[in-house]
Amino acid sequence: MRWWHRLWRRKRMEELLEKELRFHLEQHAGDLIGQGYDAEEGRRRARLALGGPEQVKEECRDARGTQWIDNLLQDLRYAVRTLRGNRGFTAVAIASLALGIGANTAIFSLIDSVMLKTLPVSHPEQLLQVTRLKDRDSFSNPIWEQVRDRQDAFSGIFAHTGRRFNLASGGEARYVQGSFASGQFFETLGVGAVLGRTFTSADDKRGCAGVGVLSYDFWQRAYGGRADVLGKPIFLDGHPFPIVGVTQPGFFGIEVGIATDVTTPLCAEAIIRAENSWLNERSARWLWIIGRPKPGILPSQATARLKTLAPEIFKATLPPTMRADRQADYLTDSFETKSVASGRSNLRSQYRQALLILMVVVGVVLLIACANVANLLLARGAARQREIAIRMALGSGRARLIRQLLTESILLSLCGAALGVLFAQWGARLLIALLSNTRNHVVLDLAIDTRMLAFTAAVAILTGLLFGIAPAVRGTRVQPQAAMKANGRGVIEGSRFGLGKVLVMLQVALSLVLIVGAGLMLTTFRKLASLDAGFDRGHVLLVAVDLRNANYPPQRRAAGYQRMLDRLRTVPGVRSASRSEMTPIGGGVWDSELLIDGYTAKSHQDVIVNFNQVSAGYFDTLGTPFVAGRDFNQHDTPQSPQAAIVNETFVKRYFGASNPLGRTFRLNNGPGVFPPVEIVGVVKDAKYESLREDIPPTAYRAESQDRPGMAAPSPFTNFELRSVAGAPADLIPSVKASMEEVNRDITLQFTTLATQVDESLTRERLLATLSGFFGALALLLATIGLYGVMAYNVARRRNEIGIRMALGAEQARVLLMVLGEVALLIAIGLVIGLCAALATTRFVASFLYGIKSNDPWTLSLAAGVLALVAALAGFLPARRASRLDPMTALREE
Amino acid sequence: MTAKSDLPQGTLDLLILKVVALGPVHGYAIAQRLQQVSRDVVQVPQGSLYPALHRLENRDLLAADWKGTETGREAKFYRLTRKGRAQLEAETASWRRLTEAVSLILKLSEGGAE
Repeated sequence: MRWWHRLWRRKRMEELLEKELRFHLEQHAGDLIGQGYDAEEGRRRARLALGGPEQVKEECRDARGTQWIDNLLQDLRYAVRTLRGNRGFTAVAIASLALGIGANTAIFSLIDSVMLKTLPVSHPEQLLQVTRLKDRDSFSNPIWEQVRDRQDAFSGIFAHTGRRFNLASGGEARYVQGSFASGQFFETLGVGAVLGRTFTSADDKRGCAGVGVLSYDFWQRAYGGRADVLGKPIFLDGHPFPIVGVTQPGFFGIEVGIATDVTTPLCAEAIIRAENSWLNERSARWLWIIGRPKPGILPSQATARLKTLAPEIFKATLPPTMRADRQADYLTDSFETKSVASGRSNLRSQYRQALLILMVVVGVVLLIACANVANLLLARGAARQREIAIRMALGSGRARLIRQLLTESILLSLCGAALGVLFAQWGARLLIALLSNTRNHVVLDLAIDTRMLAFTAAVAILTGLLFGIAPAVRGTRVQPQAAMKANGRGVIEGSRFGLGKVLVMLQVALSLVLIVGAGLMLTTFRKLASLDAGFDRGHVLLVAVDLRNANYPPQRRAAGYQRMLDRLRTVPGVRSASRSEMTPIGGGVWDSELLIDGYTAKSHQDVIVNFNQVSAGYFDTLGTPFVAGRDFNQHDTPQSPQAAIVNETFVKRYFGASNPLGRTFRLNNGPGVFPPVEIVGVVKDAKYESLREDIPPTAYRAESQDRPGMAAPSPFTNFELRSVAGAPADLIPSVKASMEEVNRDITLQFTTLATQVDESLTRERLLATLSGFFGALALLLATIGLYGVMAYNVARRRNEIGIRMALGAEQARVLLMVLGEVALLIAIGLVIGLCAALATTRFVASFLYGIKSNDPWTLSLAAGVLALVAALAGFLPARRASRLDPMTALREE
Repeated sequence: MTAKSDLPQGTLDLLILKVVALGPVHGYAIAQRLQQVSRDVVQVPQGSLYPALHRLENRDLLAADWKGTETGREAKFYRLTRKGRAQLEAETASWRRLTEAVSLILKLSEGGAE
């Protein structure tokens, strides 16, 4: 029988032990009575011979090896009883621990799913991503085909890229997340199908008709898990792809944060992108290459093998339009590899640092909560000194008592953790909602896994020890005889509360750091959200148009766009409308190197300029004022000289103070000479890619003139509509209707400029919201801590205060005395906190905008708020002290 | 009354195993028998008898059943397990070797004194 068996049958064992000993005593007593003792004496002698029955039992239990469990159960039972007896204390302690631990678990579960979890594929640790020595890690399709055909170190290797597909065939777009993957994708990852089949290399041949493999989640969501989807077409960007299978549950693709719903073979890119296909394009880099080395081949060997292939591969794939100086760089490029066990993730690179900062923040919140609970325990320990002294007098060892007090603490923190896990589940979902926006729908696997539970349990136990150990050690440092004194109140010494005060100072200091951090993040967000971006983001509706389903031959697109624009200008409620290639803060960049007449470039980088191609009325619609010159007009035609409007930075950098109007520049993109472009207007600076950027030199070209290097307008464009008044989204129904009049197969996507700008601040909003929340939480906890300690202090010193008042101290004097103590605590805490804040906030400097990490205003404002709130918390006990009735206070003694 | 001796460390287990080896027996009877057989020289502290029994049971040297006594009461009867019998033999042999060696040494010192 094992000990846990015995534990199970503990009650029964206890009864049997009792019975065995009773039998012994009765037999012995019977024998003694037989020898002539009377009944009473016989029983007495038998008991004497056996010894104390409880002690014998204890030793028997010890002999059985279950004593420690008995002790633990006893401690637990006792702890539960004590905690129940003190409901107020227990509720406050568990609630603050649940908040602290829950916040930690929530952030950790996010870190876990974004950074730690490995991909749900077979042996993810073996996967290697092929990267480039000299450049970003993406490759052109010609390079991929060379790698695929020449490599011999990988048992499986694939190219992959994510892409949104539009499910709607006209009207408003409905997007799903999809991907193009080469033939060996599923085979290399070891991902199977629950229904039908996945695709193989046989499905990925140039000129293929394309197939679609659905994810399990998408199959459930969109098709209700019906088996008859096999063979049916799914329309992606208007093209039908037969569904051949559904992948196993849990497989979301290889990009963490994005759930890929539909995967198609790489060859299908030619169907989707048609005339703009990149399959033969040597200068487009859009594919990620991932492989699994053959058994027995080390990553380093696989890399070495790729390196030997590199010169030939890069030679064979040299983009013909590349400039000579860049060609040398291209030809000497090589391959590297890196592990991709946890998948690729833009989310990870974007949020890694922010998540780590948040982890530290919630760690500090937990520390503050710990200090609070420790303070509560200290106060309660003082109240329990009599009980503890009595137990020591009765023979309990100090170690045993400490163990028992720690059992109580850990039980508290485990209860807090259990509640915290629930809180975390909810909190983590909220966090994901904060991370997601209409452009980026974040999907993460937040299932509770062993790592998360282990983390929470470890945090809970550490927390329990952290806040429990000092009060337990202090609480048991007591002379047993002290408790026996008639006056039980003399037990607590004044110095004992030094620790409580230290804890409060620590809380004040830590809260100050968090509040300063919150102040910096909030200021950053406010500055970014309210800065003058160079355009007026209110009242502008953005309409993204996709013509591919609408059967517009390239040569008719320009006329089609003009018709749409003319039609949109007549929609009721539209004040002005325009068309452009890019929209502000739209996420993309179109840049180009220039040759500027009369300017000598310091470097290639020096003359790289951002571009956009816009219609007349663009600046008017966006609210960007002209500084000089004119807008585009009907005289800017394909036949007329090329015209451009530039921004102020462009003028300042390349022309200084001289007049830019009439000056010219040329593109310097590849071989050949481009025609000159004349500057006809200058507009105010406006943000292009992000609100944080220093506005780059920008040139706007007329959409009515050809885009150099491009035969015809692309099938994608954007319209901007400024509403007369009211919400721009109100225009959507009439815009839809008017576009249907032009062509019912045009695909549309709507957003407002305000939303687009707003969503570029997702990370800043997340940090500002969370640091604000945790800063407030820290302030609240520290305030409760301060209040608790001062209230306890005042209660403990009733006698002293009573005597002072009886001897003539005035109310005001007592008030000032207590407030003085509070002020000292706060002041020391603030000084420590300011030093800590100065030392730590520089780590968040890269997240800030328009404010320095040691901003004196933020520091003093944070300190002021904290001091004010803390002083208020200290004032209540101080006032209570000053209103003591000396007679009552003394009588209690 | 003759002088009583304390048991040397570890010998209580051996004595219990020996008594139990004679047939299933309850705790009180073990105490009685040890006292009788040793003619009251060995005074078994009853307080340590039961912990010893439980320890031996826990080590699977003894097994126990609840059975009726001659007087009709239920009592816990201990018996030797196979492992217990092996242990008894090993410990008996080792005890013999020890006592022989001790008595040899004692004789030697008596001889020296003559």
